[in-house]
Amino acid sequence: MNRDQWLATCVIFLGGLGTWLLLPHKHGKIKARLTQGCGAALSILALLLLSAFYTSPGPFLPNVFFWVFATSAVGSGILTITSRNPVYSALWFASVVLSTSGLFLLAGASFLAAGTIIVYAGAIIVTFLFVIMLAQSEGQALYDRMARAPGAATLSGFALLWAVFYALLMVRSPGGDFKPVVPRLTSASEFVKPTLPGNFKNSGPVLPGSGPAFVLASAIRPTALLADDRAPAPKKSVPHVAALGATLFTDHLIAVEVAGTLLFIALVGAISMATPRTPIRPVDREAISAGDPAQARALANMTN
Amino acid sequence: MFPFDLLANYLIVGAALMAIGMVGFLARRNLIVMFLSAEMMLQGVAVTLVGFGRFHGNWTGQVFTIIILTVAASEAAIALALVLVLFKRRSSLDVSLWNDLREPGLPLSVENPDEAEAPEIVPGPESYPHLTVAGIEPPHPRQPWERPRD
Repeated sequence: MNRDQWLATCVIFLGGLGTWLLLPHKHGKIKARLTQGCGAALSILALLLLSAFYTSPGPFLPNVFFWVFATSAVGSGILTITSRNPVYSALWFASVVLSTSGLFLLAGASFLAAGTIIVYAGAIIVTFLFVIMLAQSEGQALYDRMARAPGAATLSGFALLWAVFYALLMVRSPGGDFKPVVPRLTSASEFVKPTLPGNFKNSGPVLPGSGPAFVLASAIRPTALLADDRAPAPKKSVPHVAALGATLFTDHLIAVEVAGTLLFIALVGAISMATPRTPIRPVDREAISAGDPAQARALANMTN
Repeated sequence: MFPFDLLANYLIVGAALMAIGMVGFLARRNLIVMFLSAEMMLQGVAVTLVGFGRFHGNWTGQVFTIIILTVAASEAAIALALVLVLFKRRSSLDVSLWNDLREPGLPLSVENPDEAEAPEIVPGPESYPHLTVAGIEPPHPRQPWERPRD
């Protein structure tokens, strides 16, 4: 193991230990202040050590913003799963979502950043808060102060993280200049839709324009290319949202339709599940057990 | 430009969010916190996808993240409806009260089930959602002016 892998092991061990100390006790015992403080200190130390992995190839200010957003995302994540009060958990999750939106912005996905804030922080978390307030009106519950096998859960989760880190460092260490597999098609003329070559019908000689490059060129349409500095010239002038819409409604049209249908079905399902039903009175239950078919039918009509 | 070093940063953050969400999903007993943890795992995957999409120079990562956002919204709607129904039946958000849903022959996830809050048995028949069969007109009261004339 080289230096990076030792550092990854160290970070993950410290982070796992800190998270385990911060999680609620298995049998609901109150953890001492000292234990919680140790857990918090270890987690903060792991977060600071994690930033040793962030490389900074770009200019100064984006790196600072990346560090801030990444640290607050992971830190808020730890606080989400360790808060005893579910309301605080939901609020810390809102912080995770906001930090993730900042990361999206840094990666050039501004529409997605806005959409994530609107959908997650604006709709989903508010719904979660509504449900929490509906369901937990009387203070803190016992099950919020008890964890289910916290040691095993922390061990498995951070073992997974260690495996991912190991794989990532294996890719990173050899050359340092890993190239993406998609070939850069530099001119728009390469995107001209090729006619179906004859070798699909008869096993004739392979055309010069076929092979992996041919397959990639027909799979990656010009609308699917990101409008950045590597794109061919006509792509650079397209605005962000217009280009995203172009690829959504040409290359991924069926996926968009399926997503809309899914939202509709989820709406119908949620309404049909959560609507309150007429309470069943004891008289009706006696009628059911007495075997009165007319009464039972009327009851079934009423409860449905 | 978006070199591989920058992509690796995004992958690290995504993996960390995913692992933390998994720990929360396994360790917490509140149904709502479990769902928040699942959403956090989705956020980690979204960070990874956006980074990869930018690295490879196409829109596919962002498009897939938009699809994930849609699915997460549907999932939250369904899950919160389910949580409300479950809460109505047991008056508690504790997931270990539903131990009897596990496969036969498996041990209890909580060592001593008496430590969980006592379930309150709701009498009455099971009530499942009932949808009208397609193509059949649902029964509804006819207003006097809607009746066909003789």
